[in-house]
Amino acid sequence: MTERLENDIKGRRTELGLTQAELAEACGVTRKTVNTVENGVFSPSALLAIKLARALNVTVEELFQIAD
Amino acid sequence: MEQTDAAKAERLTSQRARMLPVLAVLFLGQQASYFSGGWEGDRTVDHVRISAWLVLSVVLLLALTTGGGWIYSKRVRDLANDESTRAHRADAFQWGFIAAMGACILMYGISLFEPVGGREAVHMVMTIGLATALIRFGWLERRAQS
Repeated sequence: MTERLENDIKGRRTELGLTQAELAEACGVTRKTVNTVENGVFSPSALLAIKLARALNVTVEELFQIAD
Repeated sequence: MEQTDAAKAERLTSQRARMLPVLAVLFLGQQASYFSGGWEGDRTVDHVRISAWLVLSVVLLLALTTGGGWIYSKRVRDLANDESTRAHRADAFQWGFIAAMGACILMYGISLFEPVGGREAVHMVMTIGLATALIRFGWLERRAQS
């Protein structure tokens, strides 16, 4: 069984009024990386997941979930 | 107006995603001269031709391995070689390795019917492996940006 990682980055980012580029800059990555994580194309490392959660003021568990 | 490092890195990744597959196609196109003009030769033009292939191969290999953008600062290059880029590069290397192994099998098969020189075999394996990796990397990077 292939497990998939879901996230709420787009929703949370929109709530805070951040663009992908602004979030990327806050996490020290490119907009392309934020875009791929947001769309579920790329599963981030634990380090990037924590950085994203911090930048969006949520916990990693609130931001990422394993899809059923 | 001075661009920020993030903007420079965005520009570099975008240019790289467009340029590397184009260079890979040009690189493959350059091989036509080897098939039409033979593999070996002692004339000056033959040495230039073989050197051009080798120089281009090394430059493309370095561009793929390091991410290119050598005129930019280390911070910009680090940003342009972030997590997703490194994952795409690893995937591209995997494809390149499989293609190179396929080329080895192909060359071995050909050698059963006609003699194949070491230089010819290296040429084929390197060209196919490198071009495959470049095209795969470019495709993944372009997909990530859309």
